[in-house]
Amino acid sequence: MVNVTVDPLTRIEGHQRISTEVGADGVITDAQSSSLIFRGFERILQKQDPRDAAFLTQRICGVCPLAHGLTATNALDDLYGVAGSVPKDALMMRNIFQGLNMVASHATHIYVLFGPDLANPAYKKVLTTLGDTGNAVWKEMVGRFAPISYKMDGVAVPVGSSYLAAIPEKKRLQEAIALIAGRMPGPSSLYPGGYTYPATVADVTKLASYYLQVMDFVSKHTLKVPFNDWINNTYKASSPQKAVSFVTEHLQGLVDKATTSNDFSKDAGWGDVEFYAAFGSKLVGEDILGLPASLKHDTIGGYKDPSKICFVAYGGYYKYKDGYDPKSPAGDRIFTSGVVSGKLEYQKFDPEKITESTAHSFYQNSANDLAPTKGETVPFTDPNKIAFTGGSNSQYSWDKAPRYDGIPGEVGPLARMLNIKEPLVTGLAQTFNEKGYSAANVYTRMLARMQEMAILAYELLNWVTVDYTPGGKISVPIDLNAAKNNTGMGLWEAPRGALGHWISAGSDGKVTNYQAIVPGSWLMSPRDSKGIPGPLEQSLIGSNISPVGSVDYTNPVGIFHMGRSYDPCISCAVHTIDLTGKNAPNTLRIL
Amino acid sequence: MSTGIKNLVRTLDSVDFLKMDRRTFMKALGAMGAATFLNTYQAEIVGALEFAETKLVWLHGSECTGCSESVLNAGNPDLVQALEKLNVNLVFHETICAQQGIWNDGKLVNNSELNSEILLEETYKAGKYILVVEGSIPNGPNGSGRYLVIGNKTFKDSLAEAAKNAVAIVAVGACAAYGGITSADSDVAKDTDYKGVAYSKDVKGGMLKELGIDKPVINIPGCPAHPDWILLTLGAVILGKIKVPDDLNTLLDDYGRPKVFYPPDHVVHDNCPRRGYYDRGEFDEEVGGPGCLWKLGCKAPYAHADCAIRKWNGSVSMCTQAGGPCIACVEPGFPDTSRPLYVEREDIGVAGTNIDTVAKVAVGAAAVAAGVHAVRRMGKGE
Repeated sequence: MVNVTVDPLTRIEGHQRISTEVGADGVITDAQSSSLIFRGFERILQKQDPRDAAFLTQRICGVCPLAHGLTATNALDDLYGVAGSVPKDALMMRNIFQGLNMVASHATHIYVLFGPDLANPAYKKVLTTLGDTGNAVWKEMVGRFAPISYKMDGVAVPVGSSYLAAIPEKKRLQEAIALIAGRMPGPSSLYPGGYTYPATVADVTKLASYYLQVMDFVSKHTLKVPFNDWINNTYKASSPQKAVSFVTEHLQGLVDKATTSNDFSKDAGWGDVEFYAAFGSKLVGEDILGLPASLKHDTIGGYKDPSKICFVAYGGYYKYKDGYDPKSPAGDRIFTSGVVSGKLEYQKFDPEKITESTAHSFYQNSANDLAPTKGETVPFTDPNKIAFTGGSNSQYSWDKAPRYDGIPGEVGPLARMLNIKEPLVTGLAQTFNEKGYSAANVYTRMLARMQEMAILAYELLNWVTVDYTPGGKISVPIDLNAAKNNTGMGLWEAPRGALGHWISAGSDGKVTNYQAIVPGSWLMSPRDSKGIPGPLEQSLIGSNISPVGSVDYTNPVGIFHMGRSYDPCISCAVHTIDLTGKNAPNTLRIL
Repeated sequence: MSTGIKNLVRTLDSVDFLKMDRRTFMKALGAMGAATFLNTYQAEIVGALEFAETKLVWLHGSECTGCSESVLNAGNPDLVQALEKLNVNLVFHETICAQQGIWNDGKLVNNSELNSEILLEETYKAGKYILVVEGSIPNGPNGSGRYLVIGNKTFKDSLAEAAKNAVAIVAVGACAAYGGITSADSDVAKDTDYKGVAYSKDVKGGMLKELGIDKPVINIPGCPAHPDWILLTLGAVILGKIKVPDDLNTLLDDYGRPKVFYPPDHVVHDNCPRRGYYDRGEFDEEVGGPGCLWKLGCKAPYAHADCAIRKWNGSVSMCTQAGGPCIACVEPGFPDTSRPLYVEREDIGVAGTNIDTVAKVAVGAAAVAAGVHAVRRMGKGE
């Protein structure tokens, strides 16, 4: 047994450690996920003007500041009692603003954070022994996904073509956000009751032109099927089976052509999505398409016990009508709220079922498994107690352990796609389930993210060119007195998953309590009071550190993939403190 | 500022570092009122690509990665182009690098091509690198620094190690510069004890002083910092346009900021796209309109930065243009000195803020405030 620890897990937002016990066969037998930082974001909103929340909570995370700002704005809409009357065009501006950011965030994850691991030397070792086909596949992997400043065997590796092309597109998307939001990151355009900037006809035209430029990148690098064909046959497919068949038949066509040519290039029709969809999975690539080898990403990062996991979505993106219901996001959101069990059964989402445990976190609380609004957060102040090597029974993370009805929850693109019953992702999940794989694994998690990008690109065009009407009403006034002795709840979807903010104000209309429960807490959570590991920990345990080739403790590429497949955001995830415990209601707690 | 000079400054935004001749740069800088900066330009840029590779180590403390996101949005050149043009080897950047920390039974394994901790050890030992710090540094609990531990080391200790052999240190963003949002006033701030690299809020002497390290630091504040501010500063250091430490006294203001981007005699308000409404006394009291945002709490008259000229994200917009108030995120007291964000300054008491900061801010804003009152009196027919 070897202890294999990755610390820091880079190419994520923030600072995270993964510690594992690994057997001679490379299989992980025990794992701890530790958030390494305690930010102390606490109390900054206490006794303050509630409206500051939309600005200041953006500073929780610079990668998805819009999601925090918007979730806070939802909570403020509720607090000031204006959620039911926010003008539809303001809601569309918020959708466009969030949609662009989610696409940019996913593109960054796929190309800058996750992608570079596909150029890991572990794959070179295996693929280059597989003759011309293997060599050609490796050439594509390193040629597309190698990051900047990358060296292999002492030789500098040129930056990958997809990586290089993705950087300007990310920039372009951020520029599009800035056009309607002031700047990115740190935009200024959110305000309860509406939006501060009514995009003009010229802005709409410019947004459409950004869109075309980004789609040009997509058709050159990402997806070689005409975009509308893809959407019509997957997102709009009449059944999950039809969506899966469309994709596997398309891939089969590519594979058949490549059998003789060994040409897996973009020019030969292998966009990055096609490439990963075929080669990323043992089931799809080897068993269905008959490829000689695959990266086997469907064999790692899965859940072994479906009764200990669920997929949670709070719901995001407003429908085009005036006002929305902040308490019940299921009905009036394009991405609905919901919970899907580990066995893929659908349930209604009830925010009352969320609890948090600190049994394995660096806090000295008197009670556990409390609703977040009642939780205590008393951190260790003895430096010696902040230790990461005590094993699974110790306290080992700054992250708390949120649970839904007592069960750990995966949030993010996969959870969202399952909850809206997106045909392709649902069909893949069912297929994996039927074949004895975990429905969630590194491969389906990444494909869900890619598919969500495509869906958002499709919806964005509607919001920009069809729904949003320049010159319409953009805000309704708020009455600051309405906040007095009132509360507000904001439920939304950040790129990384379900995000909730809760606010209370006192008799002076100033903040008495502000809480945020963020995706990183769900995903990276340590064990809870019952000893149930968090989603990442569960996905590590039983998975191999080397999905291909011989076991290599010194290059545990499987751990890199599993950790990064969740797109972790630790700055969001880390808790804040309440030194006295009794003052908990006055604390801004960033979970 | 005249249109001609404004265009020059715009030119500065879009030109290639290497082709930016001294005269143009000087004129632009002069326009910004940072004449002292001119003296620091001792040499023309000659064959910059022949420069030896410059190593850059970018460390993340307690941060949100917003400034890294911002630098990835850099326009012309973009980040990858800039690194290539300047012959920069971005040795380590936690969000971008290929490496990660890999440990077997508590020992570092593999090599610097895959293991970030080995890479950093080797880099620190070799020296001759520019250190960029993003994010603040916790000194708590009880001076231990253990509220942030990366790779089995407190970030406080890592900073000491990294700073020791750095040829220049640049603190990027409000947090690294002054503590930023992590240092916001609260009854627990003393326990987390977050510090900037060289300042704690507006007080000189941040974590480096705590560590007993006496090294000059260039601050590029902002929440986030503008990518141009970051890249142009790094470019100037790398190309030898800024000599560290000789030039810093004349180049930086009292808070360690390059005067060229954070001019002492220029505030965001001066060139605000809504300035005309201010001059006519048309103040919006609800969001979504075209008017001046003063009554919605805009702090642009207190913010020493060139945002309104340079603008953001390919110069498409800026905070006030999009209808949100400026939050003066470049100032050392941010966010405390800007709160409440939506309440106009004259309605806010100065209790709880550092007198020195307020005084300095007030000097720059005095004329502006007088202007507001004058306009109001006119409006009331006084």
